[in-house]
Amino acid sequence: MVTQAPTKPSIAGQPKIRTQRKARAMSGTGGRTAALFLTPFFTIFALAMVAPVIYAIVLSFFAQQKSGLGFGEAKTSFVGLENYLQVLQSESFVGGIGRLALYCLLYIPCMVGGALAFALLMDAAVARARKLFQLLVFLPHAVPGVIAALIWAYLYTPGVSPIVSALETGGISLNFLDNQMILPSIVNIAVWEWTGYNVIVLFTALQAVPREILEAARVDGAGEIRAAISIKLPLILPALSVIMLFTVIGTLQLFTEPSIISKATASVTSTWVPNMWAYDAAFNRHNLNQAAAASIIIALMAAVLSWAVTRFSSRNKA
Amino acid sequence: MKRRQLLLGAVSLMASTALITGCGSTPAATPTPTATEDPSGTITFWSSMAGMDKVAAAFNASQSKIKVNFETIPNGGAGGYAKLSTAITAGNGPDVATIEYPQLPQFVSNGQLQPLDGFINKADTVDKLSDETKALVQFGDQTYALPYDAAPMIMWYRKDMLDKAGVSTPKTWQEFEEAGKKLKAVAPEAHLASFNPNEAALTAALSWQAGAKWFGTEGDSWKVGVNDEATKKVATYWQKLIDQKIVKVQQSFSDEWSADLASGAVVGVLGANWSATGIQKRTEASGQKGQWIAAEVPNWGTPADAFYGGSSFNITKSSKNPAAAAKFIEFLATSKDAITARGNTGSAFLAFPGLTPVAQKAFDASYFGNDIYSVFDKAYASITPGWQWGPNWDITNTALKDAYGKLTSGGKVLEAVDTAQGATVAGLKQNGLSVKE
Repeated sequence: MVTQAPTKPSIAGQPKIRTQRKARAMSGTGGRTAALFLTPFFTIFALAMVAPVIYAIVLSFFAQQKSGLGFGEAKTSFVGLENYLQVLQSESFVGGIGRLALYCLLYIPCMVGGALAFALLMDAAVARARKLFQLLVFLPHAVPGVIAALIWAYLYTPGVSPIVSALETGGISLNFLDNQMILPSIVNIAVWEWTGYNVIVLFTALQAVPREILEAARVDGAGEIRAAISIKLPLILPALSVIMLFTVIGTLQLFTEPSIISKATASVTSTWVPNMWAYDAAFNRHNLNQAAAASIIIALMAAVLSWAVTRFSSRNKA
Repeated sequence: MKRRQLLLGAVSLMASTALITGCGSTPAATPTPTATEDPSGTITFWSSMAGMDKVAAAFNASQSKIKVNFETIPNGGAGGYAKLSTAITAGNGPDVATIEYPQLPQFVSNGQLQPLDGFINKADTVDKLSDETKALVQFGDQTYALPYDAAPMIMWYRKDMLDKAGVSTPKTWQEFEEAGKKLKAVAPEAHLASFNPNEAALTAALSWQAGAKWFGTEGDSWKVGVNDEATKKVATYWQKLIDQKIVKVQQSFSDEWSADLASGAVVGVLGANWSATGIQKRTEASGQKGQWIAAEVPNWGTPADAFYGGSSFNITKSSKNPAAAAKFIEFLATSKDAITARGNTGSAFLAFPGLTPVAQKAFDASYFGNDIYSVFDKAYASITPGWQWGPNWDITNTALKDAYGKLTSGGKVLEAVDTAQGATVAGLKQNGLSVKE
């Protein structure tokens, strides 16, 4: 809720040169011009980002208490960390986090592995086919998340879906929407949606791998596979860690797909993932204070995980 | 903040002057004791019901003092209540809102509605209602809504399939189960009805019919009985139907449900009077015209029914012109012109006496194989009295729906109502309410 959607990352290696040049140009001209250009951004940032976050933090320390039958006025009182405790003690919230962890376990290897495989294949393929594949692989990402979820909900629903009926005629009876299958089914939607996007990121990084190193490897007798594993992979590690970072943050924000699918099956509960929990608290249970506390907890988790991912990947680099 | 208060003050001042002049200039033009005789101004009206735009237009055309701006909002299941509640809290809600009976107490309890007392003409509206519907819109001594429809739960069947199974329309739940078994014998893939895990209000209606009381008050405390004896009986019975595959567990209004109705995998719908259009839309293309009939819901021995759905009209806290809003609400809930203006949008059954024949005339029921309105009448006459909705239906609704999610993997209906009871009590207590189990 609080974190931003992933934006296109810059290619590793290039920023260093640019910052050096910028630092030289900036000194002397003074910060006034910079301030002028930065004001619009910071005004909107303060209004649309900082202020709501502060408001949410304030909200999270208060509670509205009714009494008796509840038809009188509710009293607002300061309760300290009580909302946070209630959120963390809630079985459904903790269950949602567990579900998210399981989701990551399935989703990250599938999606990152798939993206890597596609990117390496494209890098090795002939130039003409490359453009076509790039487009085809990216195409699902051009479909908005809500639409994608609606399409997949249709493809999963028994009695309607051509896939389910095709499987049935083949003797396989599979209900994509039942309690056991629902998680993999939603992972599948996310993989379908995000692999193409990450292929582009990784492919761009692969393009920046110096060709002379690859040629040297080839001269030394390395085949395509050997070159991919021993040369290309280590060289695009920074891009991979950027992908991991955005994926982890994006996963914490999981909301659209399950809430759309929940219209088609009862397997997705109203508090299926933490973000849905916060939505349910705010708009079904009308407990804005608890929803604020839940949102802050989600944001903190995102912060801690991002820190862990960057820390881990920078150590890997060294 | 200050500015708004000032504005509010000015508005109420103007309203009271209007009131004084109103009383002075029109002495006994109408014999009603309403506070404001001649309100005027512009108000907004939010509803998710089809055809309400036409009703608002008819009201605008019928007089020149009040202008209603109509806005369609999503229905409750699609987030309509979240939108309404948030808008009222933020102070920019509509003047007139449409709220279903289960959700009404929580809007009242959250202080999001204004009492209608003093704005509406009670003698011509509330006093003419039946006790069952009155109980749904009055809290404490105050009236918070005028009811629109009184929706009796109705069982819809494919007559041709009942005939094929060699059974007549089931009168009791026992006969219903036997009919289901006989249907299985002639059509193994067919189900007599569906069990809708997304419709907690339907479980409530079935329990209500069996004599359950999920919510009640005892002094200054709520008494919650989501898993009371009558409900347990209902839960055990439906579990039996699910286990024997007499009913199919599926979300109502889902693609799966629609496909099953069209294909004949499900040959009955446990719904209400308003289900007619939905059934027609989903089965018309499959050549089922004339096959669908309405029937009273099977009972536990003596004829009994419950309300399933139904909406009411309210004045929200954000309305600055409650007098004008009240006039419009009276039109919506009690005027024959309002019903006529809505046109052929659905098989409405209305709470206010004398309106249902108008709705019947407006609705084209030729798709159905029997006189559905005479069935509605009989069902309406047997509504079990004494039901009350609790202070936060969404907590119970969500808890029950979520617990039903486990039905496809070994969960039981009985466990679900127990879970919902626990969640309701805990949720209400967390809000500071006093609760007795």
